[in-house]
Amino acid sequence: MVLTCPVAKGRTRQHDRGPGHSRRNLLRVGALLALGGATGPLTGCDLFDGDEPDPAPDPLEPLAAEARELAARHRAALAADPGLTKTLTPIAEAHEAHAAELAKLFGRPASASSGTPSAGASAGGDRRATLTGLREAEQRGRESAAKLCAGAPAERAALLGSIAAARATHVEALK
Amino acid sequence: MIRRQTPSGPAQALADALAAEYAAIFAYAPIGVRLTDAARTAARRAEAAHRARRDALVLQLSAAGDPAPADKAGYALPFPVTDAASALRLAVEVEERTAAFWRAALPHTTGADRNRALAALTDCAVRATRWRRTAGVNPVTVAFPGRPD
Repeated sequence: MVLTCPVAKGRTRQHDRGPGHSRRNLLRVGALLALGGATGPLTGCDLFDGDEPDPAPDPLEPLAAEARELAARHRAALAADPGLTKTLTPIAEAHEAHAAELAKLFGRPASASSGTPSAGASAGGDRRATLTGLREAEQRGRESAAKLCAGAPAERAALLGSIAAARATHVEALK
Repeated sequence: MIRRQTPSGPAQALADALAAEYAAIFAYAPIGVRLTDAARTAARRAEAAHRARRDALVLQLSAAGDPAPADKAGYALPFPVTDAASALRLAVEVEERTAAFWRAALPHTTGADRNRALAALTDCAVRATRWRRTAGVNPVTVAFPGRPD
């Protein structure tokens, strides 16, 4: 395995880079991989890092992703309209705090796929439309958090309840 | 045969929430007196909401065969209510404190009971936000409503 890894890795790199790779090359890579598979388990080999089975995703991962996305939406909106700073900054910070608290629950750092603001969240510079969009997003967020709270194990219920309630207060604050 | 009791946790959590609702109802009387117009109307509505939660809790506890604590004649307020500003400050505090009791009930409840506790926590948190806005407190929201500091 120690021997097969670097070889296989080299092949894949070539494969990725080369526009003119032949079917034969691909087959050769396949053969090497098969060989690697025969010589021993391939876990730990660079080539397969991406394929290593992740620990089962936590059922709250989507909620954490939603928190990051909401934070990013508020950040984008206040970048576009600094007059909203007083209203939106604490809300963005709350979502970031929620994401951090959930990540602690998962026992691993927050996933790299940080939320990107949804297109059109603030593009027009129309403040009323911005606030309406944010309010609707908070309302949806509140519902998803409430749903998760309803079915959560006891040790997670309080945090989820606070997140759902916080999102409800955001709807109010954006009025 | 002795009926199998639910663990003392849930009953105690809901009894604590009921005591908090009694205190909230008590506090809204002096609060309402010091407010006028829209704020006074909001205080009346808030008081009515707490009364509704109280009634539902008493029913819930007695339906489960659990003891419901009795209301007291009076509750110590954290500070005297002497004007509109202190009334608004107390209203925020009442909602924050009551929210904490409902949040504490969440781990001890399941199903419809948990949904009720969450609805109560959410209502308290939203009212606290409204009162902060009326009082000119900024920010009007907190990151984790009901969470002890």
